[in-house]
Amino acid sequence: MRLARYMGYRLVTALPVIFGIIVLNFLLIHLAPGDAASVLAGESGAATPEYMDALRHKFGLDQSLGMQFLTYVSNMAHFNLGYSYRNDADVSSLIFERLGPTSLLMLTAFGTAVALGIILGLVAATGRNSWRDNIISLISLVAYATPGFWLGLMMIVIFSIGLGWLPTSGFDTVGAGHEGWAEVWDVARHLVMPAVSLALFYLALYARLMRASVLEQTGMDYVTTARAKGQTERRIMTGHVLRNALLPIVTIAGVQAGNLIGGSIVVETVFGWPGIGTLAFNALQSRDLNLLLAIFFMSACLIVIINLAVDVIYVMLDPRMEI
Amino acid sequence: MVDHPPLNKISRRTALALPLGLAALSGTIFSNGFAKADEPVRGGTMVMIVQPEPSTLAHYAVTAGNIPPIATQIYEGLVTYDWDQNPQPNLATSWETAPDGKSITFKLREGVVFHNGKRFTSADVQFSVMEILKKYHPFAPLLLAELTGVDTPDEMTAVLRLANPAPYLMKGLAGRDLPIMCKSVFEGTQILQNASANKPIGTGPFKFGQWDRGQFVRLDRNDKYWKPGLPYLDHIIARFIPDAATRSAALETGEAHFAGYSAVNYADLARMKTNPILDTTMKGYEMTPALSVLELNAKHPPLDKKEVRQAIAYAIDRKVILRDVMYGYGKPATGPLSSLFKTVGFYTDDVRKYDVPDRLDIANKLLDGAGLPRGANGMRFGMHLEVNSFGEQWLRQAEYLKQALAIVGIDLTLRSEDTATWLRRVYTDYDYDINEPFLSQGVDPVYGLNKQYLTSQIRKGVTFVNDSFYANPEFDGILNEAMREQDHDKRAVLYKKAQQILAEDCPLVWLIDVQYVSVFNRKLRDHTTGPLGTQQAFERAWLET
Amino acid sequence: MWQGFARFARNRMALFGAAVLLCLLLLVVLTPVIYPDDPFKLAGPALQPPGGSFLLGTDTLGRDVAAEIAYGARTSLIVGVGATLAAIVIGAVAGGVAGYYRGMTETVLMRITEFFQTIPAFIFALLIVAILSPSVSSEIIAIAAVSWPSIARLVRGEFVSLGGREFVQACAGLGASDARIIFNHMLPNCASSIIAVGSLLIGTAILLEAGLAFLGLGDPNVMSWGLIISAGRAVLRSAWWICTFPGVAILLTVLGINLIGDGLNEALNPRLRER
Repeated sequence: MRLARYMGYRLVTALPVIFGIIVLNFLLIHLAPGDAASVLAGESGAATPEYMDALRHKFGLDQSLGMQFLTYVSNMAHFNLGYSYRNDADVSSLIFERLGPTSLLMLTAFGTAVALGIILGLVAATGRNSWRDNIISLISLVAYATPGFWLGLMMIVIFSIGLGWLPTSGFDTVGAGHEGWAEVWDVARHLVMPAVSLALFYLALYARLMRASVLEQTGMDYVTTARAKGQTERRIMTGHVLRNALLPIVTIAGVQAGNLIGGSIVVETVFGWPGIGTLAFNALQSRDLNLLLAIFFMSACLIVIINLAVDVIYVMLDPRMEI
Repeated sequence: MVDHPPLNKISRRTALALPLGLAALSGTIFSNGFAKADEPVRGGTMVMIVQPEPSTLAHYAVTAGNIPPIATQIYEGLVTYDWDQNPQPNLATSWETAPDGKSITFKLREGVVFHNGKRFTSADVQFSVMEILKKYHPFAPLLLAELTGVDTPDEMTAVLRLANPAPYLMKGLAGRDLPIMCKSVFEGTQILQNASANKPIGTGPFKFGQWDRGQFVRLDRNDKYWKPGLPYLDHIIARFIPDAATRSAALETGEAHFAGYSAVNYADLARMKTNPILDTTMKGYEMTPALSVLELNAKHPPLDKKEVRQAIAYAIDRKVILRDVMYGYGKPATGPLSSLFKTVGFYTDDVRKYDVPDRLDIANKLLDGAGLPRGANGMRFGMHLEVNSFGEQWLRQAEYLKQALAIVGIDLTLRSEDTATWLRRVYTDYDYDINEPFLSQGVDPVYGLNKQYLTSQIRKGVTFVNDSFYANPEFDGILNEAMREQDHDKRAVLYKKAQQILAEDCPLVWLIDVQYVSVFNRKLRDHTTGPLGTQQAFERAWLET
Repeated sequence: MWQGFARFARNRMALFGAAVLLCLLLLVVLTPVIYPDDPFKLAGPALQPPGGSFLLGTDTLGRDVAAEIAYGARTSLIVGVGATLAAIVIGAVAGGVAGYYRGMTETVLMRITEFFQTIPAFIFALLIVAILSPSVSSEIIAIAAVSWPSIARLVRGEFVSLGGREFVQACAGLGASDARIIFNHMLPNCASSIIAVGSLLIGTAILLEAGLAFLGLGDPNVMSWGLIISAGRAVLRSAWWICTFPGVAILLTVLGINLIGDGLNEALNPRLRER
């Protein structure tokens, strides 16, 4: 009950934050020089001033910044994300189309990375400075330091062209008309390489974090006390250390969830994965401001929600935490 | 480079067959008992790579180069063109230009229906040309400037009325340049907001199926296509793969069958050619001339001096750009027109030549003569170069230019901004010294020359027009005369003169005569059947099984 | 703290990292002597494989890859260190002020910090570079802008826990000014965590720079590793050396910096000391 009230309180206080985010994002994005009409006309070769004017009028770019802002805010108030003139489509439908592939890639990569990272970090920490610790540390450092696009390109060369095991790019085999499990299998085959190249980076991060966190906890007084009381190492680890060591992981995972949307641009580009990252990148390049604003807005909402979730998980992991 | 891709085998055979009196059978020639492997097979899905993904399929209002490979499967034009660029019947069966050149009468094809089931008539031609293209097509101010109206004396006749003769119009009637839309789809709607923009409805061999943004467009066979038995393919999938290395990989693994318009990086072509399942062709771009150039801002001294501009033109070794940036595809540009115009007799290289052995000496003398001595660090003056944002190769070219101009004492600083910023800086703010664009030249000299060099085309805020402030009344007069001259040979003389004047005045520096390349899977046959190549329908393309 | 460095010196992995970084610094210092020419200079035929007259081969324009990497090292270090320093300054001030004054100041500053964290970092960096036009300085600003919030949160947390300590209260009791307490007494006490996190940030910044250049938003007038890779990417399959060597350079540098960061973290963090 207290938890529910707390969540309600947090959601209400989040509203002004989100409004602030809307305003600041709007101003920030309008700082970028050039506009959508000139990009569109630029791609078309020549265009008349009348055509450019018609485009600007159609895009609403002939209005003052204040008017554009009011239109934008009133749209938002009606849960309308606006229209992407560049793509001739509703912003919400453009984003919705990408939501599935993006979540699939993110959840797979991020989930695998966090889970495996925790395990590897634990293994490394419990054998501190042993060969397995050193190997895990070294591998995760190398994975962390490898530029993602390089790794992706190399995997394509090996697994698609060399061995012919996996398709080079895309979300599924277009036009194959797979259904049911055949389609699931098809998507999974396409998912492997982008997920791996994305996961390796995060895996390295969480393995390192988990190792440090576990080591920090094992140095704590309560562990010494537990040892003094004669508890087994295994019991100490599972009963006390693990739980506390997970706290910083949860925090960082929460912070990073916000970077998920943008962090995969490079991997999406390499593998032609239809994600939100490339959508945002293209929107920025073509000054498709409605679309870019909507993605920023979504990202903000996502982070607010995730932060809330993190706090709730915190409470569940650590009962001493105040709410 | 393979000079004779499989499709050319067919056309050579067709040519051989003609004297034997088989011309009347040309429609059925494919099924006429050639070796079995050359017999078209119905069915199959062709995957082509289109790069980058189009932002819209509103082919009638946006002329970005990535739209036609998809849109021309759906929208057709009044005519198509043969390899010699002569118009051939398509939606129009015959045509006649009036003796005074002020009207062109088209007889239209019976029995053509749009994908929505509506019959194709002269009303569609009138509406498409006057209400859509004339008003919203970006090239209309050039292409359709003389057009005053379209008469429809009967359902199957359309007459284009012109204020003055427009001989270039006969080159721009294909589906790529003058698509015909269905009147009932657009009538009474806001044209730029029409719902069919991204679900196009035309008369072509393929119907629009589905567009999954970020992934593909699927086109389906039009079973009611007016050419009997065509098309052969069941589906065409246009796939979008943002990364160049991955695009090449998709072709190498056989996932994709065709990549036109240089969607494959020039650097990868050598490897593609050694791949047993792939081949390449430079055919199909005969009506897509383009030049890479430098625009020099004559408002920014010392670029206002002709000698300085010429010195820059002399200082650059085009062969290096061709070899190291374009990987040998293309030719050094000799002047303001692409050498592709040689086919129709408009191109000349009888102009001031900048690619001469003693070019560096000449450049240094010109700069000394212009009162620009070298300073202590060996440099005469500094300039900014705006790097073209449409691809990595332009940055390479810019890096070379910086080195080349440093030799004659011009210190370039590169500025590489994203597309929106770049276009604004150059075409709206005119806040640039040297710009590095890539110019499509259209199907007739009118397109490329008029918009780039006429005084009247100095238009603030409009992209890819005269932004170098070239203004020469004598030249303007020649171009305006050439635009209306109906006699082909007289036109050629006028354009020769125009090219000579431009090469002497040197408002731009012409670098490379661009050559596009298509990469295709050997199983895909008859894909490039005319000079418009990837920008015309794949109605005859088929896949070996 | 000196004891910390002694502990650091006993950590073999950290020493390896320090050695890598030392080599890199040596390379940066010696570059003008080894390669007196402009790294953009067309030195020979294009696409020469490594081992011939060019140690690491030449790129698509015939530039010496080894010279490019040597000059690129300087850029990568300038961007990495510059962006990290900027992020630390902004983050320490924002986090410090918030953690010291608490109350309304803290709420406002932390909300601003949160705002910066709600924007997808990489897209935000791209946006800033687009606004400012690509150059080394705008890359530094962009990377600093996406990195400072984590420092701010860290410093704030440390300040909040230091706030109640006796020495801080003693200083306040002696009438020391707020600025004096913040800069002379509290910040030095968080130095060890800032150093540890900051050293990792340098590595991240170098990777971010490569990512920006990969997408074509690097400074075209200054040689950098990202620039070499993005130029060599087109010929990755036929001329592997152009992308590989700068890639390895990035890998080694980031690895070295992270090893040092780890070492510092263990050495300076008393709770991680070996018992």
